[in-house]
Amino acid sequence: MIWTLLGLLGRRILISVPLLFVVSVVLFVVLRVLPTDPVAMMLPPTATQEDVAAMRAAYGFDKPLPEQYGMWLRGALHGDLGLSTASRTSVTGMLADAAPATLELVLCGVVLGCLIGMSGGLAMYMWRGRVAETATDVTSTVMMSLPEFLWALAFVLCFGVWLPVLPFIGRINPSIHLPTASGFYLYDTLASGNLHGFVDVLRHLALPVMAVALPFAPGIMRVLRSSLFDVGNEEYVRLARLRGIGERRILLHHMLRNAVLPTISLIGVQAGFMFGGTLLVEIIFAWPGMGNLMVTAVRNQDLPLIQGIVLSYCVIVLVLNLLVDASYLTLNPKLRSA
Amino acid sequence: MSLLSACDLTLSARLGRTRVDVLNDISFDLAPGEVLGIVGESGAGKSMIGRVISQMLPAGFNVRSGSLCFDGEDLLAASPGRHRELLGDRIAFIPQEPLSGLNPVLTIRDQFNEHLARLGVPRAERRQRAIAALASVQLPRPADLLDRYSFQLSGGMCQRVLIAMAFASNPALLVADEPTTALDVITQAHIVELIHSLNREHRTGIIFITHDLRLAARICDKLLVLYAGEVIESGPASAVFADPRHPYTRALQAANPPLTGPRRQLVALPEQMPGLQALAQVEGCRFGARCPIADAQCRSSQPTLREVGQGHTVRCSPGCEAGARRGDRPLLPQDVALPSTAPIILELGGVSKYYPGNRTWYGRRRAGVAAVKPFDLTIRAGEFVGVVGESGSGKSTLARLVMGLERPTTGSIVLEGKEVAVPGSVAWRHRVATTQMVFQDPQSALNPRRRVIDLLTQAFESTVIPQQGDRAARARELASETGLPADILSRYPHQLSGGQKQRVNIARALCMAPRLLVADEIVSGLDVSVQAQILNLLLRLREERNISILFISHDLSVVRYLCRRVLVMYRGDVVETGSTEDVFANPQHAYTKALLRAVPPDEAGQSWTPLQAEAVDDAA
Amino acid sequence: MLGSPRVVVGGGLVLLLLLTALLAPWLAPNDPNAQDLVNVLLPPAWATGGDPAFPLGTDNLGRCILSRLLYGARVASYVAITASFFAMLIGTALAVVAGYFRGWVDWTISRIVDVWMSFPPVILSLVLLLAFGAGVNRVVLGIVLVGWTRFCRVLRAEVLSLGRRDFVPAARLLGFSHLRIIGKEILPNALSLIVTLISLEMAVAVIVEAILSFTGVSVEADIPTWGVMIADGRTYIDEQPGALAFPALAIFLAVLGFNLLGDGLRRLFDPRLGLSRSQAT
Repeated sequence: MIWTLLGLLGRRILISVPLLFVVSVVLFVVLRVLPTDPVAMMLPPTATQEDVAAMRAAYGFDKPLPEQYGMWLRGALHGDLGLSTASRTSVTGMLADAAPATLELVLCGVVLGCLIGMSGGLAMYMWRGRVAETATDVTSTVMMSLPEFLWALAFVLCFGVWLPVLPFIGRINPSIHLPTASGFYLYDTLASGNLHGFVDVLRHLALPVMAVALPFAPGIMRVLRSSLFDVGNEEYVRLARLRGIGERRILLHHMLRNAVLPTISLIGVQAGFMFGGTLLVEIIFAWPGMGNLMVTAVRNQDLPLIQGIVLSYCVIVLVLNLLVDASYLTLNPKLRSA
Repeated sequence: MSLLSACDLTLSARLGRTRVDVLNDISFDLAPGEVLGIVGESGAGKSMIGRVISQMLPAGFNVRSGSLCFDGEDLLAASPGRHRELLGDRIAFIPQEPLSGLNPVLTIRDQFNEHLARLGVPRAERRQRAIAALASVQLPRPADLLDRYSFQLSGGMCQRVLIAMAFASNPALLVADEPTTALDVITQAHIVELIHSLNREHRTGIIFITHDLRLAARICDKLLVLYAGEVIESGPASAVFADPRHPYTRALQAANPPLTGPRRQLVALPEQMPGLQALAQVEGCRFGARCPIADAQCRSSQPTLREVGQGHTVRCSPGCEAGARRGDRPLLPQDVALPSTAPIILELGGVSKYYPGNRTWYGRRRAGVAAVKPFDLTIRAGEFVGVVGESGSGKSTLARLVMGLERPTTGSIVLEGKEVAVPGSVAWRHRVATTQMVFQDPQSALNPRRRVIDLLTQAFESTVIPQQGDRAARARELASETGLPADILSRYPHQLSGGQKQRVNIARALCMAPRLLVADEIVSGLDVSVQAQILNLLLRLREERNISILFISHDLSVVRYLCRRVLVMYRGDVVETGSTEDVFANPQHAYTKALLRAVPPDEAGQSWTPLQAEAVDDAA
Repeated sequence: MLGSPRVVVGGGLVLLLLLTALLAPWLAPNDPNAQDLVNVLLPPAWATGGDPAFPLGTDNLGRCILSRLLYGARVASYVAITASFFAMLIGTALAVVAGYFRGWVDWTISRIVDVWMSFPPVILSLVLLLAFGAGVNRVVLGIVLVGWTRFCRVLRAEVLSLGRRDFVPAARLLGFSHLRIIGKEILPNALSLIVTLISLEMAVAVIVEAILSFTGVSVEADIPTWGVMIADGRTYIDEQPGALAFPALAIFLAVLGFNLLGDGLRRLFDPRLGLSRSQAT
C-alpha cells in the first residue's frame, strides 16, 4: 500500500523540485527590481558613496543577477540562506527559530477548524429543514466574514483585557524554562514531563488558534453539508435504509466516508489561505513566528530574509498539499487501483 | 394465507393547494411464492407502490385510505421501529441502478458484514454466509470478490451482489423495482433467470416492477397494469398478455415492435400520460384523453373494475370490447428493394479506431483499446441501416466516426463521393450539410438557456452553411413536421417532456436538410408509446424526404421495425451483417444468436429459453 | 431574487458600501487628513466629551474618524470592484481555454495554476507590492495577480463538465467555430457561477487590502484606509477604542455583505442547496 501511495505521489514529489526552483527564481527577480535601494536603507544618512558601494559589494548586490542567483543557490543547497541585512544574522537560523512557532499555530488551527467545520456541517445536515440549520448557517456566514486579524483583536479585547482569563502575548510564560529541543512547545513540554509548562503553552495557544480556526471552519462546513446532501441522494444510501440499517449508522458509516472526500481537497486550499491570516495574528499576539518575521522583513526591505521566508512558506504549502493528496488517496479506493 | 395484500390503497400528494391521488384504489393479492408483475410507463406510479411498502414516502405524500397487509400484519399501522425490523429481513429490495447501489468506498465484504450483522448473524459465521450467498447467485470466485469495490464490477455483477444480499435472509417478500432496465439485453436475461430460480428455490413472493410488458408476461404469475396511478387491468399473466381487454394494454402491446412475425404498423397513442398537475383536473377515466374508443360517459364518470374472465379484471366501460382488435393494424409496406441506381450517400472503407494507452509516468505505455476494428459499410439514399450491440461494443464510437467527432485510425470515409475529414477543414462544410447527428440524451444535447425556437433553427446562426429565409417560419415548419405543438416554440428545454425533447433534437438535426442522420440510441430512454411516435415519425421522414439513417440501438425489435439492413457489433467487431430479416431469422454468429434468444418473445405461447449454450463470455 | 433574505441583506450592505464610497466627499463632515492637534482622541459625539463636529470622534492626530471611515470606503470598494473584475477576466479566459480545449493546453495551464497556488496568497501579494511600491492600482494588481487562480480552478471544473454535454458537439456539427461555441453555449451556462465567484472575490479583496495596509505596503500614506486605521488604532486602544472599532465594524459589514450576496446568489442558481427536505421523485 505504501508503495502504491508513493508511486502515485511520486509524480507530485517530482514536480515539486522544479517548482521550488522556478519559485525561487521568480522571487529573486521580483525582489531585485525594487524601486528603493535596500542598501541605502541599511546605512545611516551620513554614509558616503564608498560606504554604500562597500556594503553593496559585501552583499553581492553589485554583481549581475544570474551570478547573484547562482551564489544564493549554492548556499541554499547547503542550508545557508544568506544573511539578513537588517540583523546581520543567518537567515536559516532565524527561520529555524520562527518556523516551529507558525507551524504549531497553523496545525492546531487546521485541526480545530476541521473539528468545528465538520461537526458544523454534520449538524447542519442533521438539522435540515429546522430553525437550527438556518441559525448555524447565519453564524457560519458571520464567522467567515470576520478575517483572522479582527477575530484576534476581538479575542485580545474580550479574553485578554476586559476579562483577563487567557494570556495574549507570546507562546509561553517567560519564567518557564524549556530545554530548546524541537521548537514545538507542545511536544517539548510533554517530552520533558513538564505538565505545568504544557498547560501554559496550551493557554497561550488558545486565543491565536481560535482566531485562525474560526474563519477557516465555515468553508469546510459548507462543503461538507453540500456533499452530504449529494451523497444522501445516492442509490446506495437509499438501499441501506431499505435493508433496515439505522439512520445514524448510515450517516456516519456510509455517507460521511463519501462526503468527506471533496472536503479534504478544500482543506488543502484553505490551509494555504490560513498562512496569510497568520501574518497579522502573529503581530497582534506577539507570536515569534514566520508571519511576524515577514512583516518586520518587509518593513526593513530585508531581501535575503524575505526570500528565505517566502521559500519556506512554499515548501510548507507543498508538503501540506502532499499530505492532503495522500489522505485523499487513502480514503478514496477508486484512485488507488488506477 | 396471502403474503401481501393491498385493498383499495389510495396514496395522495399535496400539490400546492390541491391534493392529487397519485395511486387510486389499488388492490392486489400476492400469495407466498408467487410473482406479481406491476407494469406501467414512467409516471404511472409503479415505484410508489414499492415506496408504500417500505414506508419511505416523499414529503407531502400519504396514504389517504385503504389497507396494506403483510403476512397478516397491517403495514400502514406498524411503527417505524417495527418497519425497520422487517426491512432487509423479511422484506427485501433490489434497485434499478445496480452500479450505484453499492457504496463505492467500502468493500463488498464490509457491506455484506454490515447486512449480516443487522440480520443477527454471529461474527464467526459471517464470512461463510457471505461466500455462500455470492456463490448462490453464480458469481465466480466469491472469496476473491469480497475484497473488491463496486466500481471494479460490471453492472450485472453488482446486481448479482445486491440480489445475494437480498436473499441472504431468506425473505418472504422481494420487491424488484425495474431491476434490469439499466442492464444489457443478455445480462437482463441472466438476471431475470436468476431471480426466477431463486424464487422457485426459496418460495419468495416477488413483486416485479417493470415497464416491459413482454418481460413481465414471461416471468410473472399475475400481472397488474397501471396507468396514471390506477389499476386498469389485472389478472393471470398469460390471460392478460394473450387477450388484453383494456385499450391501453392493447395499445402497449401494439406499440412494441415485434421481433418475429409480420411487421405491422405501430400504434402510437397521441400525447402522453397525464402528469400530477393534469390529474387534478381529470374527471372520469384517466385514460380518456388518449383512448381511441372513449365516449362521453367515460369522460364524465370513473369506470369501475369488472371481471371479464377467471381472475381477469378490467377497468373500462362494458361497451369498450367492441373496440379495435390487434389484427386490424395495417401491415408495413414490404420493403421494396432499393434500386441499385440509388445514390450512395456514405461509404466507409476499412475504418477503424484505436485508442492508444496512456503513458505511465515512468515511461511505459499501457495497453490500448481497439474500440472499432476495421470494417466496411455502404449506405444508399433512403436506406435505414441499424447497428446493434451492447454497451462497450463500439457502436457509439462508430457513430462518432461517421459524424467526424472522432478521427479514424485507418480507413476512408466518403460522403456523396467526396472524401471527408474532421472539423475545421474545408471539407467539413460538406459534411455538415450532408450528415447530422441526433444524440441520445436530449437533456444533455439541448442548451438549457435557449428557447426551443432558437434551438430548432440553430443552423441559421452557422457561418459555415448559412441558411436562408425566415427563421421563425422555418421553426414552425420543423415543429409541425415532427409533431410538436405550436406553443412549444417559446419554451425552454426543462419545460418539455422527454418525448418532446427528443423530437426537438430530431427537428434540429433536420433543419439543414441532411441526407443522412446518425441516430445514437435516440429512443432508449423513452416510454413505449412515445417511442412508437418517434419511430413512425422516422418512417414518415423517409417517405417524404428520402433520408437515410444510421440507427444505433441495443433494442433489436426497434431495429427490425425500422431498418432494412443491420450490423451486429461485439467488442469492436462487426460480427454479422446483412438484411435485417435474414439476420434475425437466420443468425449465423453465436453472439447474434445469444442476443436474439435473450429478447422476451412478443406472442403468448412462444417459449423463452434465453440461456442455452452460452458460447459468449459472460462477464456480467 | 428579492425573495431571498441573503440577497436582500447582502445586496443592501453592498449598496450601502458603494453609496458611501461614491458620496464620501459630500457625506464626510471633515477633511480626512486634516490634523487637529487640539482635539485628539475625542470620543464619539454621543459620549461625554464628544464634539458634534466629529461624530465618531478623532484619532491620535485629531483626524475625524467618520471622514476617514467614509474615504476608506472609497479605497475598499474601488479595490474590491476592480480587483475582482480583472481577476475574473484573466481567470475565466484561462479556465475556458483549459476546460474547453483540454489536452496539453489544459495541462500547461493547470501546472501554471499549481505553481501560482503554491504561494500563500497574501504573502505573494505582499512580495509583489514590495516590488511595485505603494499605490491603489498596484494594490489592485497585487490582488488580481493572486486571485485569478481561484477563479481559474473553479471555473475550469465547470467548463469541463459543460464541455462534456452533448450540446457542444451538436453545435460543432452545425459548423460553429470554437469561439462561437464558447461565447454562446458555454459561457452563458457558467454565468451564474461567475457572478457568485465575483461576489466572494470582492470579500477577499477587501480583507487582503486591509491586511496589506495594516502591514504598511498598501496605498500612499495620505490616503486613509480601514487597515491603516486599525493598525494605528491598536496603539492607543485604551484611550480611544473607536479608532479601531469603527473601521473593524466597517470591514466586517462590507465582507459580510459580499459573502451574503454571493451565498444568496449561489443558492438561487443551484436549487439543490436550498432543499432541506427531500422532494418527490
